[in-house]
Amino acid sequence: MNESIALEGASGISASDARPASRVNLPFEFRGSGGEYFRIWIVNLLLTIVTLGIYSAWAKVRRLRYFYGNTYLDGHPFEFHGRPLAILKGRLIVFVAYLAFVFAAQVNPLAAFILIPLAIFGVPWIILKSRLFQTRMSSYRNIRFNFHGTYGGALGVFVGWYLLVAVTIGILYPAWVKKRVEYSLDNAAYGTQKWSFLTTTGRFYTFCLITFGLGIVAYAGFIFMVIGVAKGAQAAHGYGPAADIAALAGLGLGFWVMVLGFAIVALAIWGYYQASFLNASFGGVQIGGNYLRSNLEIGPLAWIYVTNLLGIVFTLGLFYPWAKVRQMRYQLENMAVDSDGNLSGFMADASPKTSALGEEAGDFFDVDFGL
Amino acid sequence: MIPGRYFDGHSSAPVEATLEVCADGMVRVHGLPEPVAAPLLEVEISDRIGNIARRVSFPHGGVFETPDNDAIDAALDSVRDVVGLRHGSGLVNWLESRWQVALGSVAGVVIITIAFLVWGVPAIANWAAGVMPASMDRAIGSGSLDVLDRIAFEDSKLPKARQRELKTMFTRMTAPLDDDHDYELELRDGGGLGANAFALPSGIVVMTDQLVELSKSDDELRAVLAHEIGHVRGRHALRHLLQAAGITAIATALLGDVSSISGILSAAPALLDAKNSRDFETEADNFARQWLKDNRVPEASFDAILCRLSHEEGSDARKKDFDFFSTHPATGKRASCKAPAAESAKPAEPAEAEAPADNPSGQAPSSDSMELTEPSEQQLPAEPGPAPIS
Repeated sequence: MNESIALEGASGISASDARPASRVNLPFEFRGSGGEYFRIWIVNLLLTIVTLGIYSAWAKVRRLRYFYGNTYLDGHPFEFHGRPLAILKGRLIVFVAYLAFVFAAQVNPLAAFILIPLAIFGVPWIILKSRLFQTRMSSYRNIRFNFHGTYGGALGVFVGWYLLVAVTIGILYPAWVKKRVEYSLDNAAYGTQKWSFLTTTGRFYTFCLITFGLGIVAYAGFIFMVIGVAKGAQAAHGYGPAADIAALAGLGLGFWVMVLGFAIVALAIWGYYQASFLNASFGGVQIGGNYLRSNLEIGPLAWIYVTNLLGIVFTLGLFYPWAKVRQMRYQLENMAVDSDGNLSGFMADASPKTSALGEEAGDFFDVDFGL
Repeated sequence: MIPGRYFDGHSSAPVEATLEVCADGMVRVHGLPEPVAAPLLEVEISDRIGNIARRVSFPHGGVFETPDNDAIDAALDSVRDVVGLRHGSGLVNWLESRWQVALGSVAGVVIITIAFLVWGVPAIANWAAGVMPASMDRAIGSGSLDVLDRIAFEDSKLPKARQRELKTMFTRMTAPLDDDHDYELELRDGGGLGANAFALPSGIVVMTDQLVELSKSDDELRAVLAHEIGHVRGRHALRHLLQAAGITAIATALLGDVSSISGILSAAPALLDAKNSRDFETEADNFARQWLKDNRVPEASFDAILCRLSHEEGSDARKKDFDFFSTHPATGKRASCKAPAAESAKPAEPAEAEAPADNPSGQAPSSDSMELTEPSEQQLPAEPGPAPIS
């Protein structure tokens, strides 16, 4: 399958199309570079600042187009189609609504209570609209993605399940994580081909529980370390709770090194969770005769998180574009499509064109839910 | 002729094809079963970003895609004037492709960000505080004195007559002030806090018995109270909250969407926070000095009490070294201390006052309640001693 990528633009018909019968493994590929994205990022950041944020809508489109356009599958790139003006309009409306709410709460504090039902019934709507936006504004081989989730479905997952998790004191939390992923992926479609989400709930429970256990161990270790160091410093500072604080404060650099150490451990645990979560999520997608595969490994992913953090801290943020590109490259290059050999048979879904209003509304709330 | 692929928009099947931008302003795709063509002004050519593939979208939904950005640009340039194609759509890409522009942008972003954080945020916070009614101040500090009474304070042990006298003095000071704050003096036994005074945003000023005992004249107490009134009148608590919110918002906007970092970068805003805090102290000092001048109270009494407090605290030398981290300016910058040793020779203070900065009974000044009550309370662990006259 790799020859199709090597051929790049020169080849019109990729090798996969020639072998319909046998299964082939088509890896994703990321062709962006940190240096190139750095220039795009910093120029757009400056433009955003000098236009008091107005340019951020254009910057967002350029950023997403850069990342989509450098993501290749079977030698073909993805494409993002969002329109800056629609995004800007949406942001302005949200901003004005927010100001109106703050003002109303000033005049009458009871106005804040209006927010509660608004949030309960509004959040699922926003999630649905943003999912519609994200899918319909994305394409591959000039076929748009689509989303078939309903408002009722979102209400059930994001409000109903939320309440269920709350009354069961979190026991159902991993199942809820799965439900949310399922809502996003099982309702998605590529052209007319709907996706299916196959991962079991048990797999979500497994990695959630392991993360929980690791977190408790790390937290306990950190607390013991703090107490130990504080005790050691007590000789110089006397006894009592205030002395503990004084001792801690007096640690200065040592204290911050300890905090940094804990942050690194926390990021490693986060790496485990992210790797497991992304593998379980994307790895469970079936698109017709094609199966997504995600094989992120904990070590490399945690290493990327930790080094990205250190890079960003020690360059006061300038490393950010490289960090982003590294992360994207690792994630994408460990994903693949286990294909029945034919990615050319997908058909465009004509129906989304009738609901331009929905897309516009989705533009207003293009919230990123991290999946 | 530009090589690439054509997608008809109905199926995901790619077709190898070439694009031609003709001199008459028509765009034609060759190599298809049925030829595709449209006037240049009716097709949409995507902006160039990095080296991602260029899309030429035809009105009926077909798309020609090519990685050869330079060829597309050259073809467009060759007919630009013929068909009246607008210039300038590639300007951002031109900027994005140059390292010199990128480095210049870094400088621009850094300068603007720093300038905005140092001058812009305080100015906006000041303006916003001015718009908000005084009821906001009451809301910020409500309940914090109750918390302090529970964890740190005891009732004042000063004679009732002396308490009345001090309260009358305070009322006389605040009566002419025409802002909307309900000024009130509360006296408490400071316990571990020692000699201290601080203001709640609502207008309640708390002064400890130990401070009253440390003072050598009521003029000195007036100076301290004027400083605290300066905090209330300047609405420092509200402005401090607004500034902190502004700094956090900017930090988030600049670095926020990196999924692998969260609150780790809070140290930089904390430093800025300490600087803002020192600015508020200076502002309150200036208010106090002006008030003393206006009311013909010797300004020296302010210096005297400040110096005595800092000498009692015994950590001023250290504070000078760490002015950058400190929430209060070094006393040397706030007051001219002539002979602090001579002044403190007379033991005006109970035993605990002699304890240095790491006084075991020194309470935790970084508790939430203190942060809420007064903007100038210390928030960094780098400075363990109790802050004098916040």
